[in-house]
Amino acid sequence: MTALQVSDLTKRYPTGTEALRGVSLEIQPGEFFGLLGPNGAGKSTLIHCATGLARPTSGSIRIFGHDAVDHYEQARIAVGLAPQDLNIDWFLTLEETLDYHGGYFGMRRKERKERIAELLDAFSLTAKRNDRTRTLSGGMKRRLILARALMHRPKLLILDEPTAGVDVELRLELWHYVQRINQEGTTILLTTHYLEEAEQLCDRMAFINDGRIVAEGTSDALAAQYGVASLEDAYLELVGRKELSRGILAGDSGEATS
Amino acid sequence: MSAAQIRFFTLLRREVNRFLKIKRQTIGAPLLETFLYISVFGAALGSRIDKLHGIDYVVFIVPGLILMAWAINAFSNNSSSILQQKFQRAIDDQLSSPASPAELLLAFSLGGFLRGMLIASLTFLAASVLTDLPVEHVLVLIPALFLVGMFFAQLGVLVGIRAEQFDDVAFAQTFILQPLIFLGGVFYSATLLPEPFSTLTHFNPIYYMIGLVRYGFLGYSEVNVALSLILLTAVTSALFLLNLRLFRSGYKLRA
Repeated sequence: MTALQVSDLTKRYPTGTEALRGVSLEIQPGEFFGLLGPNGAGKSTLIHCATGLARPTSGSIRIFGHDAVDHYEQARIAVGLAPQDLNIDWFLTLEETLDYHGGYFGMRRKERKERIAELLDAFSLTAKRNDRTRTLSGGMKRRLILARALMHRPKLLILDEPTAGVDVELRLELWHYVQRINQEGTTILLTTHYLEEAEQLCDRMAFINDGRIVAEGTSDALAAQYGVASLEDAYLELVGRKELSRGILAGDSGEATS
Repeated sequence: MSAAQIRFFTLLRREVNRFLKIKRQTIGAPLLETFLYISVFGAALGSRIDKLHGIDYVVFIVPGLILMAWAINAFSNNSSSILQQKFQRAIDDQLSSPASPAELLLAFSLGGFLRGMLIASLTFLAASVLTDLPVEHVLVLIPALFLVGMFFAQLGVLVGIRAEQFDDVAFAQTFILQPLIFLGGVFYSATLLPEPFSTLTHFNPIYYMIGLVRYGFLGYSEVNVALSLILLTAVTSALFLLNLRLFRSGYKLRA
């Protein structure tokens, strides 16, 4: 059974903006999949459609076989979302944030308590468990959001730019954690602007631009598809900025200094 | 408990804990306000006003004060809670959960309903100690208060969904709700007003709500009790269905 199956998905906002124009995509169970594209390409809209935060205009989304729009209950139980925005309630403590999330997913009190202790420990947040979330640093909020997404043990974890603005130490920590849970069987969909992150973590990836999936495959396959040597050059071809290629810049620099 | 029951009670627990965490603002302040109304209008002014329709003035105003406590707190709790969570986008956690639109609406509604009920109950207890407040028609009083609480809880949800800034909520409460409640006859009998104000009062829906609650407590009413109950049930149901439609469509909640 496919972990995420998106078929001919379109999303048109009331303003008339067409954020998704017939996106089709399949992610297999256990895969670590990267979705790459410039700002405004449609990455977050696709994620919001899959998690119920946006209503698709047409097309379908199935998560582990469950329709994510019309029969959303089982589909949403299967998904955990760590969004790009730090969307936590400032007035709740860390423990309450995780406890309520577990409750929304029908977890019993004992199970919630054990899972909270496990996640707070895994993300080095135990000492802050009774603090209000507004007192946390940006990095700690990012960890809490990831812990919240994992609270109900989702089979598909969606990470929307999880390392944007975090320090190197936390980025590596998050990488290790998500690699571990991926090896344990969790399917992961990652959106990121850091191409080295995608190359390091993802089995397969897709380029999305202007609401369309324009290329899909491994890092090498994407580079080959654009006739270039690296994922970064393929990406620069995608966004029409190949003059920024390190190879070209190095060549220019060489000419200037010789 | 089933997963669905755990989910609903968690949604409701979050709403109740929200106002219990800030008790001074959500419970203490409204109670003080009601106490001041009873002191100023009841004790100070009331000593100079003779009976109204054969009822002591301070007793005459208490049913309206109880209604006002329930109404304003149910409204302000729900409108603020929804707007605040929209503002922080914290509401996405509930919206992306398996909770249905009906579960979300009921939990948000009951949060304000219970806060209003708590303050109205404390007001009732205090008024019972301070005055000889009777309860003449309990079978009218209970459904009337329930409907009033639910009506304003739904109104709070509606304003919270539509609001885009805190000013929108403050505007609805200060410029629409409070004038309607005050002019609905909390502190006086509409029959004492000169024309055209006496007639105009009959176009204020809150006049009928106060009439119902006053009848439940005091056995005195200027409104048709049965018709008012039917109409209040109808408008509360209509508001609930409108809100349910908004939650289902995701209006100003989902993109």
